[in-house]
Amino acid sequence: MVELVSLTINVLLLGALYSLVAIGFTLIFGVGGVLNLAHGALLTVGAYTAYYLTQFGTSIWVGALGALLVPAIVSIALYAGLIHRVRGNPVTVLILTLVVGLIVEQIVLVLTGTEPLVVSNLIEGRTTVVGDSVSNNRVTAFALSWVLIGALFAFVNYTPTGKAILATSMSERGAAVVGIDSNRMYVYTWALAGALAGIAGLFLASFQTANPFMGRSPLLLSFAIVVLGGLGSIRGSVVGAYLISFLDQITVTMISTRLSGVSALVVLVLVLLVKPEGLFGREYTH
Amino acid sequence: MAGDATERTEGTEGADADRSTRETGTEATTEVAGLSPSLRHLFGLAGLAVLALAPLATTGITLLKLAGALFFAVFVMSWDVVSGYTGEISFGHALFFGTGGYTSGMLGLHLGVDPLLSIPLGGLAAAVMGLLIGVPSLRLQGPYFALITLVTPVILLSVFRFFPGLTGGELGLVSVGSIATLTIDPLENYYIAFGLFVSTLAVFLAVTRSDIGNVLTAIREDEDTVAASGFNPAKFKVFAFVLSGAVGGCAGALFAHSAVGSATPSELLSLTVSIEVIVAAVLGGIGTITGAAVGGLFFFLLRDVLRNVETIVLPMPFGDLLSGVPTTIEIDLLVPVLDKPVAELDFLVFLLITLAFLFFLPEGIVARLVALGRRTQGRLSGDRDGPVADGGRVRKRRDTGARASESPLERITERYRTVLDGLFGHDRRQ
Amino acid sequence: MDGDDSEHADDATSETRSRRTAASGTDRRADRRAFLKATGGVAVGAAVAGCISGGGGDGGDGGDGDSGDGGGGEDAATGTSSGGNTTGTAGGNVGETITIGAMGPADAPQGISILNSAELAASEINADGGIAGAEVEVVTKDTKDDPGTARSGYQELTTGENVTATVGIFGSEQLLAIMDTMAQQESPFLGAGAATPEATRRVKDNYEKYKYLFRVGPPNSTFLAESLVEFGGDMFESMGWSTIGLVAEDFKWTEPVTEILENDLASETGIEVAYNERISEGTEDWTPIYDELQSSGVDGAFVQLAHIGTSSLVSWAKQAREFGYGGIHVPDQFPSFYASTEGAARYTFSQTTATPTSELTEKTKPYAEAYDQEYDGFPVYSGYSTYDAVYMLKQAIESAGSTNADDIVSELEGASYTGTSGTIEFYGQNEEFPHDVKYGPEFVQGVYFQWQVDEEGNGVQEVIWPEDLATAEYQPPER
Repeated sequence: MVELVSLTINVLLLGALYSLVAIGFTLIFGVGGVLNLAHGALLTVGAYTAYYLTQFGTSIWVGALGALLVPAIVSIALYAGLIHRVRGNPVTVLILTLVVGLIVEQIVLVLTGTEPLVVSNLIEGRTTVVGDSVSNNRVTAFALSWVLIGALFAFVNYTPTGKAILATSMSERGAAVVGIDSNRMYVYTWALAGALAGIAGLFLASFQTANPFMGRSPLLLSFAIVVLGGLGSIRGSVVGAYLISFLDQITVTMISTRLSGVSALVVLVLVLLVKPEGLFGREYTH
Repeated sequence: MAGDATERTEGTEGADADRSTRETGTEATTEVAGLSPSLRHLFGLAGLAVLALAPLATTGITLLKLAGALFFAVFVMSWDVVSGYTGEISFGHALFFGTGGYTSGMLGLHLGVDPLLSIPLGGLAAAVMGLLIGVPSLRLQGPYFALITLVTPVILLSVFRFFPGLTGGELGLVSVGSIATLTIDPLENYYIAFGLFVSTLAVFLAVTRSDIGNVLTAIREDEDTVAASGFNPAKFKVFAFVLSGAVGGCAGALFAHSAVGSATPSELLSLTVSIEVIVAAVLGGIGTITGAAVGGLFFFLLRDVLRNVETIVLPMPFGDLLSGVPTTIEIDLLVPVLDKPVAELDFLVFLLITLAFLFFLPEGIVARLVALGRRTQGRLSGDRDGPVADGGRVRKRRDTGARASESPLERITERYRTVLDGLFGHDRRQ
Repeated sequence: MDGDDSEHADDATSETRSRRTAASGTDRRADRRAFLKATGGVAVGAAVAGCISGGGGDGGDGGDGDSGDGGGGEDAATGTSSGGNTTGTAGGNVGETITIGAMGPADAPQGISILNSAELAASEINADGGIAGAEVEVVTKDTKDDPGTARSGYQELTTGENVTATVGIFGSEQLLAIMDTMAQQESPFLGAGAATPEATRRVKDNYEKYKYLFRVGPPNSTFLAESLVEFGGDMFESMGWSTIGLVAEDFKWTEPVTEILENDLASETGIEVAYNERISEGTEDWTPIYDELQSSGVDGAFVQLAHIGTSSLVSWAKQAREFGYGGIHVPDQFPSFYASTEGAARYTFSQTTATPTSELTEKTKPYAEAYDQEYDGFPVYSGYSTYDAVYMLKQAIESAGSTNADDIVSELEGASYTGTSGTIEFYGQNEEFPHDVKYGPEFVQGVYFQWQVDEEGNGVQEVIWPEDLATAEYQPPER
């Protein structure tokens, strides 16, 4: 019973966390047509920003703000400084984003070494949920994740800028016809994706620890999530994130911890082979 | 700064480079003006001769490193023969190296198979992998194929991790037992690597400069036309994957049994290996085989230099004449701000150099050298084609349609763009 | 063009060096020469220097040398006495400089301790007259904790630098990766970080080929497992651990540990093992594992973690798990670990070779203090063994009077040396683990410490086992 409860709690928590990562990944792909392999590195940037801010004596909430802002800035810089100039060339983009991701990891590695770092909890203490004790930190992260996801939905569907982003993702030409500056939309998208990844990085680091390579497995999971949900679909990402984290937790709990992350990749390959457009295909809201 | 470079390459320089890239890509089939094939071949042969005679000039550790570089160059060539030619970019070529190395290593460790038998078996296993990856490539394109190639080595590693008794898991076969080494003598080891390098180069050049190569190049350019001409593009693509797998697998297996390598994920299977191979190919120039070979050697040795660079030793003139003045001074090579020696940051420095290369020399070293050579030679022997305003040359070229002026990278790009457009694009809802 | 490249690479390796510690300048060398002259000869000078330097700057000679090969037992390798009391032959074939390689991951505390300790020992030795009059030079190589990098680094040391011997290596996989090169180059290696018995098992299986490998520390993981069982037998009852879970990282060195604990722990300590899992590298989310431990009702997690320990320990502390936590946990051994984890390490315990404040021998503390002074921080376990390894090498070279590999090997086989980690002797060729450091209270045993908090709120590693060295009682975590 307790095991079932803790399993459910883990799935709920991780699903929300992975949604944050995957939404950014899928947004950039949907809007810019770019498979951003440096996305995982933005988690690292977020986590270490928060770590260093708290080391200067600020509260973890200031750190959280930093974990939203700094990765967003890094993300914009990545787009404007590098990707923008080679955007028409997906192969170069793929290689460049990969190299940039590795560079970020190496910079962090050089600055901090291989030893994982401790990032403070957002809120201390524990709460008992259906007989199982859960740390408040995880509950807070869960709630904040959903606030952010909800805000993003609202932004995309009900604000002019959000609608413009969505329009750009559907048809760049069409968007241009109605007077949308698609380049500005790209910048917004990259900023959003960076912020979401950064805060996810902070959450992840506060559950576990921060290390230079912490963005890798979330990136791999994001592949599976967005392919499962349909590349470019926000709603698909959230559903995909929950399916993948459920599958992952089940595998880890029932079979072996050694299979952590594997089931997601197998799903990825199967979906690609059987139904490449994903469960939700491309989302076209009008 | 980076931006300037891009614009430059997109401009006049780019046009020139495109031509040269295409030229090396199809050198056997087209009689191109400029650097004559014979001279280019002479350079190539001279390079091979230098490699063949290298042991006369160096010994020990340098030979071991050169052998490592040759192995790596073979890895890069095996990538180029499929991705450079068919345009299906593989982001996980380490799958083949790992399959070859691990198959051979495990056959030896667990079943006592002799390396001379297990190495070809490793190549065979990797060829089967090539088949498994090649077939989906017929259906999946662009980013989808990239994803599938990206994750297959990760999945294989996870499988390995699940059977640590057999594979040593994340830590490689070295943690299971001692794999048979073909030779521990640096000289013999070097010639094994050199033999592999030369035979791979020969086979790949023969294949890519034959009709098969033409068909592969044509597939990259326009698959439908190929099909219309009565060829089955699928058959050729899968052939390229199987060939690449077999060679990559044999190279991985030989590497695992050599004095410079072993079957560990970090050497044969990790994402880093796959990326390094792509980067090296891009540096050398893709779709040319020779570019991949040069890129691989250059990449490996550059990385090694960075790893060992610590101080620059400057000779002090008159140092020996004046007492109290040292004959040489050593300057520590430190990275500013961090105050750390370069050797501790070798990978970071290396990545930054790669980034710069991707921006400043996107068409690759070999293409650039050939272009340079052609320009120099043109100046010496008079203009055969007549100069044009951009410093390049107007040449009568075979008619391959509108795309003739594009580099292989751009052609692949075009294809990706088409895929992406198909996914999200403009024409979809018409 | 390719030829140019290769030559360039060659230049880079031969002319530019890794961090080197030669004698600190020419002045010091001049002093030493003068000293040698005054004492009337190289050999005597070396012997005197050996005694002085044995004390690690503390002045005491700590009993090194005098015990000869007494502990060598049945192998009776050479019959010649070893240690600093040899006279007459030293200096003859030793040459001007002796180059020693040191290897470890340069960005991890285990590796940093190795590289620094080798340099510390070398500069102390140089200040005291070198090895048999020869100056010691240390060449360090970063393994990046990767077998491939370790192999090429070791090839550079043995083929390129022609080192007399090499010390160090953290990570059993790296050690195994260089063993073939070691055999081919016939270059002595004194291990100071990796614990797998597989390495010395290879010495057993093929003595002539692999005899160049010695392990100064830590005790191989079979002995580490025995130590865990002994600790459990002595301590579990008073700690209130009656049901435990075994959590081992899935690495080479833990294989014999898991096996022995599975077989012996329950029967010898009378406790119940309710959970037993080997955790693979790359595991980042420990929540499901701890959920399962908790629902198994364990009193403590008995861990064996070296590479992936930090996130495990931090998750345990952050989630305020109700069970205790400890065993062999390498990051926990870092003297700065309490501060760097913001106190997460409190209540956790671990085996280690020595702590900076423990007095295993009279050399332990002076070494730790000298290290602290030089590098502004205390070493971890691999540092103690590396430091001892360099001094053992000095002792072996001086008594052999040569840097010949086979001479060094036979000297080491007969050696007995009291270093910072205990009295170091090696098992003989016919024993189960030839060339492994002897394990036991009278040799090298290690201690168990727990992170506790002193009056000023600082974390301290208090020794809790063995009893004669203990400085505090075990404290259960307060939840």
